[in-house]
Amino acid sequence: MQINFLKIKPFNIFIIVLIFFIIALIFLLVFIILFQFLPVKNQKQPIAYNHKVHIETAGLQCIDCHVSVEQRAFATLPSIEICQNCHSSDPLTESEEEKKLLTYISEGKEIPWIKIYNIPDHVYFSHRRHVIRGEISCSECHGNINEMTSPVSAQFKMMSMNNCMKCHKERKVTTDCLACHR
Amino acid sequence: MEIKRRDFLKLFGGFSGALLLGGCGLDEVLEVPASWVNKVKNGPKIETWKNTICGLCSGGCGIQVRLIDGLPVHIKGNPNYPVNQGGMCPLGINALHHLYNPDRIQIPMKRVGNPLTGKWEPISWEDAFKIISQRLIKLRRQNITHQLVILGSGERGVMKELISRFASAYGSPNYYQFSSLPNDVVPYLLVHGQSQIPSYDFLNAKIILSFGSNFLEEGFSPIYYTKLYSHHREQQTRYIQIEPRMSLTAANADSWVPIRPGTYGALALGLAYVLIREELYNEDFVTKYTFGFEDWIDKESKKHIGFRNYVLENYYPEKVSEITGVSSELILELGRELGNTPRALVLGGGGALDNTNGTFSMMAIQSLNGLLGNYERKGGIYFIDEPPYSKLPPVIEDSIAKNGNKKEPHAKPQDISFPLTNFSIESFTKNILRDNPYPIDTLFLFRGNPLFHSINHHEFVDALKKTPFIVSFDSFINETNEYAHLILPVNTFLEDWNESSNIPSVGFSHIGIQQPVVEPLFSTRSMGDIFIDLAKQIGGTVSDSFPFENYKQVIEHKLLGVYNSGRGAIASKGVKKMWLEYLQQRGWQISRYSSYEEFWDQLLKDGGWWNPIREEKRLNEIFKTPSGKFEFYSQKLKNSLDTLLKNQKENDSTHNLESILSRLNITARGDAVYLPHHEIVPYEGEKPFYFTTFQVLPNRDGKGANLPLMQEMFGYSVRSYWRSWVEINPINAEEYGIKDGDWIWIESSINRIKVQAKVIPAIMPNVIAIPFGLGHTSYGRYAKGYGVNPNSIMHNLYDYLSGKPALDGTKVKISLAS
Amino acid sequence: MSKWRMVIDLDKCTGCGSCMAACKMENNIPIVDSKEANEGGVLNWMDVITQYHGDYPNIEVDRLPKPCFQCDHPPCTKVCPVRATYLNPDGLVAQIYHRCIGCRYCMTACPYTSKVFNWYEPKWLDGPYKCFNPDVSIRMTGVVEKCSFCSHRLMKVKEDAALEDRPILDGEYEPACAEICPADAIYFGDAENKNSEVYKLSRSYRASRVMDDLGLEPKVYYLSKRS
Repeated sequence: MQINFLKIKPFNIFIIVLIFFIIALIFLLVFIILFQFLPVKNQKQPIAYNHKVHIETAGLQCIDCHVSVEQRAFATLPSIEICQNCHSSDPLTESEEEKKLLTYISEGKEIPWIKIYNIPDHVYFSHRRHVIRGEISCSECHGNINEMTSPVSAQFKMMSMNNCMKCHKERKVTTDCLACHR
Repeated sequence: MEIKRRDFLKLFGGFSGALLLGGCGLDEVLEVPASWVNKVKNGPKIETWKNTICGLCSGGCGIQVRLIDGLPVHIKGNPNYPVNQGGMCPLGINALHHLYNPDRIQIPMKRVGNPLTGKWEPISWEDAFKIISQRLIKLRRQNITHQLVILGSGERGVMKELISRFASAYGSPNYYQFSSLPNDVVPYLLVHGQSQIPSYDFLNAKIILSFGSNFLEEGFSPIYYTKLYSHHREQQTRYIQIEPRMSLTAANADSWVPIRPGTYGALALGLAYVLIREELYNEDFVTKYTFGFEDWIDKESKKHIGFRNYVLENYYPEKVSEITGVSSELILELGRELGNTPRALVLGGGGALDNTNGTFSMMAIQSLNGLLGNYERKGGIYFIDEPPYSKLPPVIEDSIAKNGNKKEPHAKPQDISFPLTNFSIESFTKNILRDNPYPIDTLFLFRGNPLFHSINHHEFVDALKKTPFIVSFDSFINETNEYAHLILPVNTFLEDWNESSNIPSVGFSHIGIQQPVVEPLFSTRSMGDIFIDLAKQIGGTVSDSFPFENYKQVIEHKLLGVYNSGRGAIASKGVKKMWLEYLQQRGWQISRYSSYEEFWDQLLKDGGWWNPIREEKRLNEIFKTPSGKFEFYSQKLKNSLDTLLKNQKENDSTHNLESILSRLNITARGDAVYLPHHEIVPYEGEKPFYFTTFQVLPNRDGKGANLPLMQEMFGYSVRSYWRSWVEINPINAEEYGIKDGDWIWIESSINRIKVQAKVIPAIMPNVIAIPFGLGHTSYGRYAKGYGVNPNSIMHNLYDYLSGKPALDGTKVKISLAS
Repeated sequence: MSKWRMVIDLDKCTGCGSCMAACKMENNIPIVDSKEANEGGVLNWMDVITQYHGDYPNIEVDRLPKPCFQCDHPPCTKVCPVRATYLNPDGLVAQIYHRCIGCRYCMTACPYTSKVFNWYEPKWLDGPYKCFNPDVSIRMTGVVEKCSFCSHRLMKVKEDAALEDRPILDGEYEPACAEICPADAIYFGDAENKNSEVYKLSRSYRASRVMDDLGLEPKVYYLSKRS
């Protein structure tokens, strides 16, 4: 059996190549759109949490709410039990947002925080390792949270392998795939 | 929308050349209930470990369960637990699939319509309890409490005590266990006079001669033996395995002696011949502690032949060689090796017992231990003590219960068959069908699957159909439960309290605490709790006999005795030599605990208690036979046959020993009946192949069939997955033109099955072997319809004396399936 | 750098298959159904191979637990067009599933047939509960996977050791198969630590490696009195 396209005339080949180029261009565009713009989309948190007030007025440290940041891989989003340590039945301020929190507490429901910094299933990332051993401050990845008056709605430093690798190379720490990929 | 790389690739699959990458992230596959989704995805991933005991087989291994945020994710062996010391078998490792199995019964169910075709309707626990308790109360009112029959499977220790307590408080003498253990102990009863399975000092033995006991796969606790085996490899202990098929144990033994099925007794007596003839036996032990070795004269001055002369006359190597197929040179060699090595240990089991002559074969095997004087000495046989449990308060029986308990046990063999046992699955079936000695009203079934194991399938089904009301306590619907009227879902062992003490044949007394590692996933309840609640609902003295709130309290109460005795130690530091020496110096005291609560908490944390220090017993104390000695000539057997004779009516034509013996299929006559001897197995027909079965570790007794991973591993050694196979010797394969992988028919005079052939040299010619455990017709999606059940073509034969099913008693023919 | 070695004592190994089961549970290996399995699609990272030698009745059985041998000079890494498999600084032959394009060159290159390919849609236990090990990612159809010496355990141990500023202790890092083996037949450890069991055993007169003449320097040693 003969293969058909070997018999195609030169002019047709030119058109086919052109079509291929156009298709490739379209895919490239879509690729760029999906990877560059989508993750930046802002998320609305259930409570407009004010980091600045909690840090400056209440004098809290990161670790007070994100309790396992120094012990485990996951820093964890605070559960209502942690909020309850300060926010008991009587409101501390006149804020509407605190009222929302108190409703959650009185109903015994967990706050449905939206996790912004998600890592894929096939990546192992340990906060403990980065914070204790690497001595990296929270703000390097999460931005200047101290000054933030609105809740975290988008990633400060995008969680891409590029960003990981950039930092790992700068600091001359392991770039072994297995160190993060599992 | 969040787009991941692999989703992206899937979108443009054809173009990017990654067509094969299917989307399969955690999100898609992890459909855990809503409350757990958050935990699994956003939880702090706190890792904890809990110690408990594996409940998938009789082995009682200590396990450690890894929990992530309270969710069990992995199981490993508990390195400190003395039975398994960190080892696990494939089945136990896969136990989480038992817990998470999609086929688990999630709520009590009532059958509407006929068995197999009917429907299961969910009902509430209250309703279920009401139905059962009303029925039981009715029986009490009518004063026929003995018509409640409880058929358990393999419960031991406290659970067994609790159920028999329930039975006697309620007034039923009918609590049985279908597992063959009550039948297995018969030969021990005859030679030792007690039905305790002895323990073997594997550690100090120099030679281990095993007659058919596939202890690495089918023993009571395979992992315990695997640990010992591994230790032995450092000590250069010699293992000799005698069996027709090369099992895992034979494959690892130093030498494998193939033997024709059903002739183990003859070989044992052939070895006895060598020991006696060459005077290699332990003369001191034999003269002091055995009965019936030399010729003797009884009270009526009748002369009896002794074991010595009987063996010398009848079991010379050439004859034994003809019976067994083992060459006479090898018999001589084995006998001499046995006699000349100090600390040679002989054990029997498995195939040696699985035949119509099992009891006599086992007696012959044990007689070798008698000749070698292997009792209460290093590298020998000994009996371990019960753990120092405290006693439960006495059972309170009212007049109804007393009346019921006095009734004859229902499953007791009625005619002269199986004279040495109170229970055989065959007599159980027959008695229900014949309403003899009385009809039964209610049957309780516990975990376990007697129908699947049965070799008398049709009659057992008839018996189940005939029973007016069956309540099943199980986690899965299996073949037997299909016939139940009501199923109560019980917790799996990972959600339940229990205790696992003194696994038969393990060499020290020990207790393992099985504690719930996770809350019950479904609306299931603890088996012990169900019984206690049932007793409370019946009320009266039945309720008074159970002054406990739940089963956990019963276990706590029992362990108080252990704490008070001050003996043994919590298995916290494992079995390291240093620690053992330290404890020995300290005298094994557990005074380190200031209170019982502290002791209990530590026990839960570490998972178990053990006491390897055993009070040495004197040799004249351990044999509970009529003579108080090891009996070559079994007076117990003589007495029970005499009783049978006495019970027959005088005028009856059967009123002579001759007719009783012929009805028991015993061909021996005279004194030989009561001596260990070889009975010829009455194989039916002229079929060319002996048919044997075996169990594999990933499945054990059919329990692993509902675990997909274990189904996949089922035949890993022969590369046969999810299906049965038949092992056949190349010599036979050539004869029949069978190639490896061909499908063949195996046909007995009852039925035929189609299996794939595996041609391997590790089996005797003219013997074929099929693994047991597959061929389920129920038991969930992963079990149903895979493989064949070899028991379905077996002849309905039993050991004459003990009533144990003769699994090796069938001969078959084979043919290529086109 | 440590040189991790595994020593499998065949004189002790009974061939019970516990290592296979432990490996499957530890590494989230999918379940393969009846049809696919009998077509040869079983995914065994750790496989127990049975071989019979001799004629009846003088038969010897070899049961060989076979993980990935994690060669020091691995032939599989050289052929990978996308560097999805490579020798990592700890000496483990890594397989990065999300890089793998499923060309299966490495499977062809491996003389020990240690690599397996995901031919089918992965399946786990039906129903809502899957019981995954959260430390190991889940592979998709069309990638090659293999025994990793439970490298996720090594990463954890390394992190612990680094935080406490100490070297990794002997016995701290152990793959699931070595941990579970009921016959204590699998030893694992650092071959550069002269006190370790592995160091001594790998120099035993019984020790040998499979197809040593290929010069791949596999990290798995077998001990056997029979040669």
